[in-house]
Amino acid sequence: MNPEIRAAIEELLYHEAYLLDHRRYGEWLDLFTDDVVYRMPVRVTRERRAGSDVDPTAVYFDETKASLEKRVKRLSVRSAWVEENQPRHRHFVSNVVVRPTERPDEYAVRSYFLVLRSRGSDPDVDRVFGEREDRVRHVEGQWKIAARELVVDEAVLHTINLAMFL
Amino acid sequence: MGALQAEHFRKIREAMDRGLLPQWVLTDPDVWALEQERVFPRTWQFLGHESEVPVPGAFVTRWMVHDPVLVVRGEDGEIRAFLNACPHRGTLLCTADAGTQAAFTCPYHGWTFDAQGALIGVALAHQVWGTELCRAEWGLKPIPRLERYQGLLFGTLDPAAPPLVEYLGAMTWYLDLLVGRSGGMEVWGPPHRWVVAGNWKLLYENFTGDPYHVQSTHRSTVELGITPQRVVRGWQVVLPHGHGINVTQYLEVPERPYQRTPEALWPRFREHLNPVQEELLRRAAVLVGGIFPTLSFVSPLHGTGEDLYNFLNLRVWRPLAPDRVEVWSWCLVDRAAPEAYKRAAYKAYVDSFGPSGTLEQDDTEMWARVMQASRGWMVRDKTLNYNNVINYLMGFGRVEPDPTFPGPGTAYPGFVDAVSRSTHRFWLHLLTDGAEEGSGEA
Ligand code: FES
Ligand SMILES: [Fe+2]
Repeated sequence: MNPEIRAAIEELLYHEAYLLDHRRYGEWLDLFTDDVVYRMPVRVTRERRAGSDVDPTAVYFDETKASLEKRVKRLSVRSAWVEENQPRHRHFVSNVVVRPTERPDEYAVRSYFLVLRSRGSDPDVDRVFGEREDRVRHVEGQWKIAARELVVDEAVLHTINLAMFL
Repeated sequence: MGALQAEHFRKIREAMDRGLLPQWVLTDPDVWALEQERVFPRTWQFLGHESEVPVPGAFVTRWMVHDPVLVVRGEDGEIRAFLNACPHRGTLLCTADAGTQAAFTCPYHGWTFDAQGALIGVALAHQVWGTELCRAEWGLKPIPRLERYQGLLFGTLDPAAPPLVEYLGAMTWYLDLLVGRSGGMEVWGPPHRWVVAGNWKLLYENFTGDPYHVQSTHRSTVELGITPQRVVRGWQVVLPHGHGINVTQYLEVPERPYQRTPEALWPRFREHLNPVQEELLRRAAVLVGGIFPTLSFVSPLHGTGEDLYNFLNLRVWRPLAPDRVEVWSWCLVDRAAPEAYKRAAYKAYVDSFGPSGTLEQDDTEMWARVMQASRGWMVRDKTLNYNNVINYLMGFGRVEPDPTFPGPGTAYPGFVDAVSRSTHRFWLHLLTDGAEEGSGEA
């Protein structure tokens, strides 16, 4: 891997996390290509011999750019109570591995994520964690996320909702 | 019953008679202990849908509050439910959520059970066991009763419970409409599961008896035009045993009737429903309700613009503690619907009532806030010195049943708290072991 490309892609992921934690959703949306596929399948507990524990039929998110924009728009209206008073998020991204793909302008990027959310003065901290498999594409001099698959590690989520982006 | 005395029940009853509920009953540990003894084991609880166990050996594992349950289709095609624990020394038997297999082996000492629950394999059977082990006596323990209605599987721990159809009462008429309308439904994918802050009674009531919250809690979806705004009228229908349903209908038969379902299904509705049910479905907007104690359902229209889809969302509010619930959420679609419609309806479900759904997000926030405000003395004081009662007064002593409503049950027009009041009475009836009556009309 070219270390400069690797550094630029890592920088993109850290920048993305910063934008989300500071509610700069407009700029966050700009990090995605217009044809982005953003998915989070359901993880289940299966017998080892029963194969993959990622269920392709069920999802927590199955988003396009347009539907991500709609979610952002909803969070901004006055009566989106989940955003009132603004919960505090922290997106941790680590274990980044960048690999070339069949397309010269696109890289496969695996990373681990841990998202914590604190609501008001509630001592309960919401948490979501797992692995991300992204496609990062070079578009007009910029690195953008062209696909994201989020594989969560819990079969029973310990967050009261998924109002946050991951 | 430890700390709870007749005096407490009398005070609860008196509050209920005035359309109120002492708020301390939501989170009180003594109430919670008594609910685990007298409410959940004596009622019918939802275990799943038969489409989740389609072939011999197919199984799902579920929970009836804290009892682990294995629902499995036997080689003979019969669906059975067992305590999901090895009878030898009590180990959780099957740790998977779902799958298909002919036998279940307990790893502790290696006993094996078949899909009918029989003990078929004992490790070192000939070396260490003699006649003292009678295999026939050591099969899996069945859940005392398992019955189904329209493909919905229910279990109860009470061998003497009334038959399921009797417990459901007139709810069967509405289940015919919701689940039986096209000849059968199927579950799309495994259920969503997540843990929320809240008391199970409040969550049950949110779906079953509280359409009033929609205009405020879910105002953002109206602001954005995600929830259809059309002229509707509605009823709240009180059913026995704490069950209830809310029906909203369009004043005019909509251009795309039957909740905008695909036209291919319409002849099936006419075939499977009686004319009264069919007419109700033709104009229906949203049907939302619950089967006491822990099952709720909603059959809405959701999507954007012209792309509105209908699905049936089933919810189990599995109580983990008085202030914590594991939500189980299934999306059901008509089996006979075109595949493309099923896919779109599932997506509409995820966008609205899934854990990331625009409707769901704000509900969970509200339930958490009720718990945050329920831990102090002004709420927990059982003598009600602080007037710590919550309000179920809507329509109380004022709104009369509407005799023109076509379905069974006691139907009140518009917004009322009739179902919640009836639910509370049935809950108290169970909690007091029948000392307080609570057949359940408001
Ligand atoms: S506990 Fe299961 S075999 Fe002993
Ligand atoms: Fe709601």
